[in-house]
Amino acid sequence: MVRNEQSRVARWANMPLLSVVALLVLYGSVMVQSATSGMGSGDALFRRHLIGLAIGLVPLAAAWLIDYRGFKGWLGPLVLLNALLIISPRIPGLGDTAKGATSWLQVGGFRLFQPSEPAKLVTILIMAIVIAQFKGRLDSPRDVAKVMGFLALPLGLILLQPDLGTGLVFVAITLGMLLIGGMQPRWFLVIALVGVIGIGVVLQADLLETYQKNRLLVFVDPSLDPKGAGYNLAQSKIAIGSGGLKGQGLGSGTQGNLNFLPERHTDFIFSVVGEELGFAGAVVLLGLYLVLLITALEIAAQSHDLFGSLIAAGLISMWTFQILENVGMSVGLMPITGIPLPFMSFGSSFMVTNLAGVGMLLSVWSRRKGA
Amino acid sequence: MPNFRQDLKGRFAALGLVVLLVLGALFVRLWSMQVLSGDDYAALADNNRVREISVDAPRGRILDRNGVPLVTNRPTLAVSVPASAKDDDELLMRLSTVLAMPVEEIRERVSSVKEEALRPRVVMIDTPSEVVAFLAEHEAEFPGVEVQVLAVREYPQGSLAAHVLGYTGEVSEDQLAEEEFQGYALGDQVGKTGAERQFESVLQGDKGYKRIEVDATGRPRKDIEQVDPNPGRDIMLTLDVNVQRVAEQALASALVEAHRDEFPNARAGAAVALDVETGEVLAMASLPTYDPKVFLGGISTAQWEKLNAKESEFPLNNRAIMALYPPASTFKAFTGLAGLTHGVTGEWSGYYCPGKWTEMGEQWPKYCWKRTGHRGISFRQGIVDSCDTVFYEIGYEFYKQKDEKLQKYASQWGYGSRLGIDLPGEVAGRMPDARWKAEFNADYPEYIRWLPGDTVNLSIGQGDVLATPLQVASTYAGIANGGRVVRPHVLKEVLDSKGEAVKSVETEVAFTPQVSAEHLAIMRRALEDVVSEGTAKDAFRGFGAKVAGKTGTAEVAKKDDYAWFTAYAPADEPRYAVAVLIEQGGHGGSIAGPAAREILAALLGLPVEHVTATDASR
Repeated sequence: MVRNEQSRVARWANMPLLSVVALLVLYGSVMVQSATSGMGSGDALFRRHLIGLAIGLVPLAAAWLIDYRGFKGWLGPLVLLNALLIISPRIPGLGDTAKGATSWLQVGGFRLFQPSEPAKLVTILIMAIVIAQFKGRLDSPRDVAKVMGFLALPLGLILLQPDLGTGLVFVAITLGMLLIGGMQPRWFLVIALVGVIGIGVVLQADLLETYQKNRLLVFVDPSLDPKGAGYNLAQSKIAIGSGGLKGQGLGSGTQGNLNFLPERHTDFIFSVVGEELGFAGAVVLLGLYLVLLITALEIAAQSHDLFGSLIAAGLISMWTFQILENVGMSVGLMPITGIPLPFMSFGSSFMVTNLAGVGMLLSVWSRRKGA
Repeated sequence: MPNFRQDLKGRFAALGLVVLLVLGALFVRLWSMQVLSGDDYAALADNNRVREISVDAPRGRILDRNGVPLVTNRPTLAVSVPASAKDDDELLMRLSTVLAMPVEEIRERVSSVKEEALRPRVVMIDTPSEVVAFLAEHEAEFPGVEVQVLAVREYPQGSLAAHVLGYTGEVSEDQLAEEEFQGYALGDQVGKTGAERQFESVLQGDKGYKRIEVDATGRPRKDIEQVDPNPGRDIMLTLDVNVQRVAEQALASALVEAHRDEFPNARAGAAVALDVETGEVLAMASLPTYDPKVFLGGISTAQWEKLNAKESEFPLNNRAIMALYPPASTFKAFTGLAGLTHGVTGEWSGYYCPGKWTEMGEQWPKYCWKRTGHRGISFRQGIVDSCDTVFYEIGYEFYKQKDEKLQKYASQWGYGSRLGIDLPGEVAGRMPDARWKAEFNADYPEYIRWLPGDTVNLSIGQGDVLATPLQVASTYAGIANGGRVVRPHVLKEVLDSKGEAVKSVETEVAFTPQVSAEHLAIMRRALEDVVSEGTAKDAFRGFGAKVAGKTGTAEVAKKDDYAWFTAYAPADEPRYAVAVLIEQGGHGGSIAGPAAREILAALLGLPVEHVTATDASR
């Protein structure tokens, strides 16, 4: 019986995935420790980071144990849950506002978590259920419109918070899943066109908050405001560039330690990696992400059914976009949005969500063909 | 359903490609930033965290010829206010209360001069300790207001020799553009006038600097590197504190004396004392004077305007070298030497002074100061009694001989040229000749012709001739030392940190006039008689040394007469020459003479006593 259990775990567990996630989490912890060491409450922050990690192991295990296929019949409840998650910060007495976005859930002044984080996973499940219904053939305008309709609800609510970055994550997730779900290439062109027009309308119609517009304008020309909105970007680039090939050494980055680098344990953790560990450290990190994503892709390909593949594709899309956005903004390739770096950044809701996502991948892997 | 994997194989590949593209793009970007441009970003990072603070070099001290400090340095607590505060009325009100200064004065100090906009302005020095404590305790109510230790000039002798020493102030933008001020920064203190300005490069020293690491809020974290400043060198001047003090007091007494003598407009004067052999300036005084302390920490516009107002007689001007006066009868020595040299006169040549002299025609009479006339008089006695007629005759003879011999001769002694003293602002004076007159009156054709009266006026030091007190003293020093006009100077030595001289100023001859020993001796005998029996007799009665000199009373349009006295002593072996001028002081013998007596007494180590003299001559 014990033997049987062990072999079952061995067959269920995807060792490359678990290893690379463990390495990423370890790497992230070292960097968070380094980034927070110079702060007044640095030790407390680092402890919170480790607690977030520990908490995250629970949903990871739970998601792994639960058979993902059971979610197929839960479309209605999941849509309701998603709406509830996203609306909850807006409920008086429950929401809390930070940096212009009402994205925290709080009870009695104590911040619990950001509901938009688990909402990403719920959205992946919803989309997987909807897209899987088309059995890999998604071509008629009606079908595309149906999928988009399911995206519209969470996206619209997120943009109302307003949280542009998280909204874009939802779009990226959906696009990646539509690709695997069999949508014809021309539809991507149509969506891109609609997107561009949409952005134009948003900019013209003054729907963006001033700080969001500033971020976009500064992305185009950082010298517009070197001490204001452009400051973060400029300081981040200086930190990464000055790391050179081998970096300043762990804990020795002047940009970070002397507080030139803002949000360095959260959104700009990659800048600390770049400054302290240099190109070498950055490439090691990108390498780890490559292993993570290829492994996830392998899991998608090995899935028992299209539903599992779609879930894996959703996670791959989510992580890929977040890496692109976070590292991209740190090096000035992308506009600045508050997207953290998966498995690296400080932030419990985010960490727990990503670890739960790993659990979902393992759930798909455990039920693969021949498992 | 089992075939979905086959169907979607290409799509998995597409997703994988997206992943590779994203990671590849980031890789390329990182390569470009970190490997290719890493050094540029490293420089930017250093620029972020490293601040260089310049450390001012202590300015060199200024000492008198015996090492007595005239200008030193002292630390002071200064309150500085950011330039932006000028529009913050509430902050200015609070400051006004704390500093006990009017709001408008603070505002003016903050916004004065066209300086670098961000630089904090010093509004108060010598801040009382309770004010410093109050500002420290209420930091939040005084944003940007700082108390810092500044080094400022200290004047142990008060305003003594203020004109020679000069004052310091912040370097101006115009100066920064000049080559001499390369390496200076806005806010640096530089010499503005006098010796402070003249010897700026020696006094200034080399700034040091400190490189410190700061955090994002600008707070210092640690020192990286420090290079100590190289202090400026001390300089030793030729001035003698005691002689200088006596000179200034003598001028002040002369003004009082002039007022008593019914010359109420006497408010200004100048005095110079020289070593006749070396040209060393032992004293140089100018009245009215000013207190160089008012320039510490920046002078207010109101004070500046007051110091430059006509009513205050321009106290910043060093009249000894910057003001021009008709040399009057002091010039007769040079008219006389010109006459002797050109054979126009001799020691015992005889003249007749009727009081009213009409040689140029009845319609152009000239008068001797003694309207009753000196009657029969020799050339030598003409010097002693300062008889104008004798010199009208000599001047008229020069006019008739043409060729401007008198002007050319006087120019050989340096009249009309700068002596080249090592102080800024010296003026050249004027030796009028036909060419000058034509140019000067170019717009008035009826006045451009040189007339006999012009040469006749020149011969008694009137008309258009102008000279500085320093020129008069230097030319008399030339008579005293055997016929050389030595370049006067105030710098004696530049000292190193141990007080040893690293540079000593050499004696230089500025002018070598054509004069024979025989003619000089004639003139010196006459000048001795001026003091022993002539116009200066009363001023020097009972004086403990033999003095040779000449009185002068200059006529200036619409002003009371200006009083001159110039002399050298001891007459037999001359060591010192002095010149004293009192604007609107009346007669040379009674007003300027006693002042010169006091200065000579100080120079020769004799008791300094104030005498009251009477003299109504020139």
